[in-house]
This record gives sequence, C-alpha cells and structure tokens, in this order.
Amino acid sequence: MNIKPAQLTLSQWQERYAQLKAAGLQEPAYGGPLLRHANQGDKRLGCLKFDNSPAALHLWNFLLTEEDRLRQHRADGKLIIGTMKDLGTVPILVDSFDDMVAFYPDGAWWTPCLKQMHEGLFEIAAQHGLDESFCPVRAMVGAFVNGKHFPIPDALICSVGATCDDFSVAAQRVESLGHPIFWWEMPHRRTPSTTESSVALSCGFIAPQYQIDHLRRQLQQIQQFLEHKAGRALHPDKLRQMIRNVNHIRRIFRDIQQLCFTAPVAPMGSLELLIVEMLMIHFCSDMAQTEWILDALLSEIRTRINNAEGILPADAARIFWVNPVADLYAMNLLEECGGRLCGTEFLFAHALEPIADHDDPLTALAHMALSDPMAGSAFDRAELIARKIRQFGSEAVVISRIPGASHCASEGRIISRWIQDNLALPVIEIEVPTLSDSYRPSLQTRLEALIETVKTRRKP
Amino acid sequence: MITAGIDAGSRAIKMVLFDTERRAIVDQALCDQGIHQEHKAQALYDTLLDKNNLKRADISASIATGYGRHLLRFCDTTFTEITCHAAGVAHWHRAAQSIIDIGGQDSKLIRLDGRSKVRDFVMNDRCAAGTGRFLEIVAQRLDIPLDQLGEVARQSTKPAQISSICVVFAETEIVGLLAAGETRENIVAGVQGSIVRRLTAMAAGDIAAPIIFTGGVALIPGMKEAFESVLCRPVEISTHPQFTGALGAALLASSSKTA
Repeated sequence: MNIKPAQLTLSQWQERYAQLKAAGLQEPAYGGPLLRHANQGDKRLGCLKFDNSPAALHLWNFLLTEEDRLRQHRADGKLIIGTMKDLGTVPILVDSFDDMVAFYPDGAWWTPCLKQMHEGLFEIAAQHGLDESFCPVRAMVGAFVNGKHFPIPDALICSVGATCDDFSVAAQRVESLGHPIFWWEMPHRRTPSTTESSVALSCGFIAPQYQIDHLRRQLQQIQQFLEHKAGRALHPDKLRQMIRNVNHIRRIFRDIQQLCFTAPVAPMGSLELLIVEMLMIHFCSDMAQTEWILDALLSEIRTRINNAEGILPADAARIFWVNPVADLYAMNLLEECGGRLCGTEFLFAHALEPIADHDDPLTALAHMALSDPMAGSAFDRAELIARKIRQFGSEAVVISRIPGASHCASEGRIISRWIQDNLALPVIEIEVPTLSDSYRPSLQTRLEALIETVKTRRKP
Repeated sequence: MITAGIDAGSRAIKMVLFDTERRAIVDQALCDQGIHQEHKAQALYDTLLDKNNLKRADISASIATGYGRHLLRFCDTTFTEITCHAAGVAHWHRAAQSIIDIGGQDSKLIRLDGRSKVRDFVMNDRCAAGTGRFLEIVAQRLDIPLDQLGEVARQSTKPAQISSICVVFAETEIVGLLAAGETRENIVAGVQGSIVRRLTAMAAGDIAAPIIFTGGVALIPGMKEAFESVLCRPVEISTHPQFTGALGAALLASSSKTA
C-alpha cells in the first residue's frame, strides 16, 4: 500500500490501522490500534498528531506498553532495576546481566501529561512534600506511592552530585517512603588544571583523568551491587558485548537524526523524533525491539527522502530545540506554527554518542557518564548546542523551560546569550507546562514570531 | 491599492487602511475588545470602509495580528504582533534599533537588524506583571483615571518598592503599602518603575538606541520618562503607538501584493 507521508489524528489512525491490517500488516505482540491506549487512560493522545507509517505505529505501541513488558519480565523471573537520573549509563551495566532489566522511573514525569492529570500523581507528590515548585518529575513519587503506573522495581540506583536538584529531592523522598536506593556520585565536570592529565570526552568536552578514575570506581561499586543482587559475577566480556550492542543502536539512531535534521523536506515529525530519542536512555525495557523499531523507522525515512517526500512544507523553519517538553503537544505545535525539528539537546547527549572503544569497559562507561551535558557548566552545554546547530544548519533556537526544574532557572539566559553572541541566531525561551492548553495562544505567538523572524532573515 | 491591517489586541481592536501607492494611511479606527471578537472586528472594519466610501472588494489584502488574530477569519492571513510592530515602527522610524511594546496583556522587547527586520525578541511570561493590565489594576485600586497616572507619579518624592515578579503579589503589596500610609503618588511611581525594571531585566540590558516605545501603554503619561530614567537614554514614543501593529499588518499586506 503506497500512502503519502502524513500526520494523522488518533481517530484518523483508526481508519489507517484498518487499512494496514487489511493489507496484511504484521505486528509484534504489543501491536494494536493506537486508540486503545487513549481508551485505557492516555487521553492526551487524542490531542496529538502522529506519523502515518507502520514504523511510527510500532514506536508508539512499544512506548505505551512498557508497563506490560515490565510485568512480563517479572513473571519471567527477571529482576527490574530502576536506574534513575544518570540517563543512559547504568542501564548498560544492568542489561549486561541476563536476568535483569533496566527501567527508568524518571519517565513517569510524562504520565500526568498522557493522563491529562486525571491520575492524581502531582497531588500525591504534593501530599508528600513536593508541590508545583518542583519539576514535573515529582510525578515519580506519586507513582511509587500508588503503585499503579509501573511495577515497583526490585532495586533502585540513582546518581547524585552534579545532577538535577529537583530529581535528587524526589529520589530522596522515594527512598524515605521505603524504597532503598543505591546512591552513586556524579562529579561536576571541570576543566583540568595545567598539572593534571586530561581526557577528551565524546561530546567534545575535556575533563581531568582524576574524574574518570573516580567515576570508574563508582561504576565498579554499582557493578558489585548488581552482582550481589544477581548472585554471580559479571564477566567483562558480557559488558563489552553490551557496549557493542548499544553502540550499534546508537549508530542507527544517529543515522535517523542526521537524515531527519538535514533532509530538504522533513521526513518524520518532531513528536516521533522526540520519542525515539527518549528510547535511547533505557531502550524501553527491550533492547532488541528498540533496534527493530529504529531499523523500521530508518528504512521509512530513507524511502521518504529517496522519494523526495515529507510531512511538512519545504520552507519550514529549521528549529533547534533545547530540553524535552513536559507536554508532548508542544512538538506538534512547533510544526503547526511552520517549524520543523533540526537539532535537539534534550539533556542526555551522552546517551546518543557511540561509547569510546576501550579495553576496560567500566572506563569506557565512565567516559560516557562524564560526557553528560548536565554534569558540566551551562557554557559547556551552550558550546555543545552550537556544534550541533552548525552540524544541522538550524536557523533558530527554542529553549524550552521545564516548570520548576532548578537547572532551567539559570541555564536559559546563558545558552541564549552564547548562541546570540557566537552564531547570531534568534533564540526564544518558552515554558511548557504539563498541559499547555490554556497557555497555547502565548506559546503559539512566540513560536510563530520566531518562525516569521527566520523566514524574514532568509530574504536577501 | 488599499490594504488593511487589523490588530486584535487583548484590550482593543485597532485597524488601519493603507494606500500602497501614496505610502500613506487612509484612515484608522479602534474599539474595545469583547467576547465576540470576530463580530466586533468585522463591524469596525465595515464602519471604517463605509466612512471612506470603500467596499471589502476594494481591499487588495488584509492581515490580522494580535492575540486574537486567528479568530479573524475574514482576513487573508495572519502575522504575529512582533513582526507587525517591527514593520509599523520601521515605517515611521527607519533608524530604530529596539522596540518596547507594552500592551494590555504582554510586554515585549523587539531588537531590529540594520534592515528594520526583527533580529530577535523577548516576551513576558504568563504573569501580567509588566503589562498594561498591571497599570489598570493599580489605577482601579488607587481610584486614579489611567490618563492621570503620569501626573500623579510626577508628584512622587520617593517611589515605593513594588515586586516586579507577580501582579497578584504586587496588588497585595499595594494594599499593605496603603495600610502603612504610603502616598498614592509614591505607589504609582513604584509601579511604573516595577514595569520598567521587569522589561529591562527580561532584555538582559541589551536595548540598543534608538529606542521606540509602542503599544497602548506608551500613551500612559509617565511611562516613557520611567524608561528613560532606568535606561539613561532617550526613548521615543512611536507615532500613533496604539496603531503600530495594525499599520505594520497593513504594510505587510501591501508587501505581499507587490512582492
């Protein structure tokens, strides 16, 4: 069935789904119509527009069935390990054990959005001392308390130190409610002194060797903790193989990003690109399926580019987006206003770059962890963003603040000023709450004005 | 060729008819905003056309701007007020580098490049602090007509310190200040200073001269002087500041037809 690329509402997807099934669409076990997720409570899906490809259908179904998958893992005898805050490093260690699966409780920050606030997670968090002055990740506390959104993990691992203050508070509250956490320290990345030996990291950062050594020790302790839980040692070859697997997936992802951000016409929507990027943190509890879905998406994207087809007008403004949005609808809104995604920095660039080849796998992971853009200064992050802007040819930047997130209070102005001074690109700062409907006119004005500015600048 | 620009703002609907050949405004009009925005805008549009012996068919192109722009379906297309204010200001003030635009519900600083095009902009967040609505609330609370705020502020001997973060908190502060015996003059001057500080903080001090002040709040006496006092440089009120956005829309409509 040869159908032009398009974005569909949930109800339009019903008809599309019937057509695909009639044409013989084969789906994995988690397949099915998207509408069922909305009927089961993910009401926000009814406000979104989705890519019409089978690959996108698989992506959404995969994302929205993680809870079922976790329960199945538990039924199969696997330990569920909650890997919190580090955004990508510890899951690699966890998934190296055959009988463990990494889970990312932080992801609950999107539950209030998906459920359109009907699930009461913020209210529970507030009852436990985390009100709206904290980042939406406080929803995680509510999910641990009511136990309705994911199976409570068998063990929790969380980084502290150079990490988001709000997250630390939320994680500490989870621990105080009876969920023990194995804490490890993430150092603030600093410039090496002239007398120190230094190392080059994957995101273009430089750090002292001392910090790599420190992180390696931290990761070794995590490994020992996991070995204790598993009741056996982890052979370094298992970890090396897992790093190779992860790198393979990251290379597929990088191809997807490179093609989507540089194609003359946007071959895939911003919303799907956001979701794919999020998968890279923890593979949604199934690495093999993640790889399968990414392959399917990459194939679809290549076909569309070869056919000179896309989902948006060719003159869409090329926007670089900083920070993930609490309300998924904001990504659709960007496109409705005439923009397309051409570059992202969603807080975890270190989970997207191939991990450095190193004889010692823990040292390789230490390099990855220290490449975390949030573990250094906002100036470091601004430079990383600037490099990506040059790579993808972005024409303007949206810095999206997360309400209550402590890092957003200070970084926006630094990043904005750095980009304006060094790249002379227009930048706007917006704040996207969990449900942005009442704020939409204001958001829309900002995005439309930015896009008008881009299009005016194109004129000679 | 006549074009129309309609600025559906939060407090008023402003309209400009523009003669493209003569590069001159044919006429302009405004009315208060209301619940049925499109109906009100159409009524104003037709009245203005009648007054000038014109019919809708005589209008080559029309552009809507302002926060209610998407509701005006009778217009050909829309542009944001940021782009329209830049175009409107450029018509009157070619050398402008910065535009301060304070309307009923938002405030903006628009920076222009050397070609009178928008270089970038900053806008206030969700709070009404720093907007015309703040001044309205204060005027009501202190029982002072809006057009007398400037005169009252001029009599201040020591402007009160007012929060620039939140209108609700600021209103509470004002109640407290009144209870503590602070004069109305000092409170009004404090509020004007608060609005100015909020906008200059939002702009992170990057406000190059020449600076042009537009929007309804530019008409309130004392605001220009309050900006000049903080910025330490002259601020010029745009010609017909309340109509700058509508004029810009009409000019952009004109460009769309001649391009």
